[in-house]
Amino acid sequence: MVLGGLGAGALAGAISASLEPASPTGAGPFAGWRAVLSDQTFGRAVGFTIAVTVTATAVATVLAVLLAAVLRRRSPSTRSFTAVPVAVPHLVIAALAVAWIGPGGIVERAFGSVPVTLVGDSLGLGIIAVYVVKETPFLALLVLAALGRDTDRLEEAAAAHGAGRMSRLRHVVVPAAAPALAGGAMIVAAFTLGATEVPYVIGPTRPGTIATYALDATRIDGPLATTHQAAALLVVTALAIVLAGVGAALWRVAHRGART
Amino acid sequence: MNARRKNLLTAGAVLVTVIAPLAMLVVQAFADQWHAPAILPQAYGTRGLHAVLDDPNLAAGITNSFFVALAATAVALVLGWPVARLVSATRHRAFGVGLLVIPLLIPQAAIGTGLSTWFLRLHLAGSLTGLTAAHLVQVLPYVTVALLTGFTPQLAQNEEAADSLGATALERFGHVTLPAMVPTAALAAALGFIVSWSQYGTSLVVGSGTPMLPLTMVPYLRHDPQIAAVLTLFFIVPPALAGALALRGTRQADRDVDPEAFRAPSPAGAHRAPNGPGCNPFPPPNQDCHDRTRREAAITP
Repeated sequence: MVLGGLGAGALAGAISASLEPASPTGAGPFAGWRAVLSDQTFGRAVGFTIAVTVTATAVATVLAVLLAAVLRRRSPSTRSFTAVPVAVPHLVIAALAVAWIGPGGIVERAFGSVPVTLVGDSLGLGIIAVYVVKETPFLALLVLAALGRDTDRLEEAAAAHGAGRMSRLRHVVVPAAAPALAGGAMIVAAFTLGATEVPYVIGPTRPGTIATYALDATRIDGPLATTHQAAALLVVTALAIVLAGVGAALWRVAHRGART
Repeated sequence: MNARRKNLLTAGAVLVTVIAPLAMLVVQAFADQWHAPAILPQAYGTRGLHAVLDDPNLAAGITNSFFVALAATAVALVLGWPVARLVSATRHRAFGVGLLVIPLLIPQAAIGTGLSTWFLRLHLAGSLTGLTAAHLVQVLPYVTVALLTGFTPQLAQNEEAADSLGATALERFGHVTLPAMVPTAALAAALGFIVSWSQYGTSLVVGSGTPMLPLTMVPYLRHDPQIAAVLTLFFIVPPALAGALALRGTRQADRDVDPEAFRAPSPAGAHRAPNGPGCNPFPPPNQDCHDRTRREAAITP
């Protein structure tokens, strides 16, 4: 009830803030929405955010499956070591990335230059790299948790029937892990869509993400700053909800596949 | 691959991914003078440490973040416990988990913007109470889902056994439920602390200028690497300690498992931490127990 109240309250508050006629000039309740949706910078931020989110989630998901396949036969201490990035805040990983590969960082000092610009690059490669480092172990642990002894038995049976390693991975391991992976990937994508700290630290100034665009709106000298911010953030929320719908559909398909 | 090569590979991975980045942070934190292109600092000192401790804004950021994270975690454990218990007892567990994680879909800054409109009217904007309440929106789902992994069918059987032997509700909780849930609760608490400690967007909007560690840290990352490194070290220590303590508690509980407690549930064996159904309490070295992996997996992205 507390969670529902706070969550629904937050959404209702954001909707109310986005509609608030903050200007006495009679700009109307939808002025903030109109301004945001017609802003080219916002359009670029939407495209950039979706590209970064889809790429980071897809790469982390594929790497997580491979990592989980390697970790399945490893000792608990190796698994615990792999889980280290999961406990480290995103901001710390972004800070370490800047210290190592940023301008004047260790790599530049040691080799004279950095082969690929990751800090502040317009493609968002730095943001993607931070999310991949942070989320791959998280998704791998989810996959490992989903692979119980039933999967071991199925794999043994498949091996007895002559299935090779890749074939077992494709037809036994991936279907068994798919529901957990779909749910985990949905959470990762939702977080990536709305997070601000990593894009602020390692991302480009332009284009920003939708969330950084929204927070930067508060710096706009105008009475509609709050409505801009709320409207932009509601667009991210809507994207996350659409994503959740897709994730839930994928989860159902994967769940059915795993049961059959 | 032989054991020697495996050990070398593991040591190399630890060196590259954990020790080297942390060593770099420590060096940078005490590098009073470090001009490019020198690989090592020209002068060492404690300028960064003094700058952080002597600046009331930075010091307040650390203490505020710590107390808000502690409060949010404590409240989330109290509120999440009965919810986790309820969801674990339903037939539609996946649906319950799905409902619980819905707030995680709302971006932190959107939560902050939405709640600020109410908090301004309630005079909570910028207060530590308001920040704790705002953090709860994301802390509570994680803590509840983590607690959910502890309410196993085995625990329910042990509780029924205690009931049938005449234990009161308080005795059942003190002798069966609580000891069995300690490792999961420890991990849930660590998780809740880390989620709250790392909140950026929510704190930025709801805080109305109240210093919080992630907020005070970001401006220094590009402008003063030494102060940024000191703040990063402060930022990384509590989650590392929380994670290590939680994992240690989990390991200890797994080591303490009595196989008799799984064959014939009884109050005598019920005080042991239960694992999941069909889970070998004494797994071979290369096969971990599924339930421990589940607890370890219940960590924030």
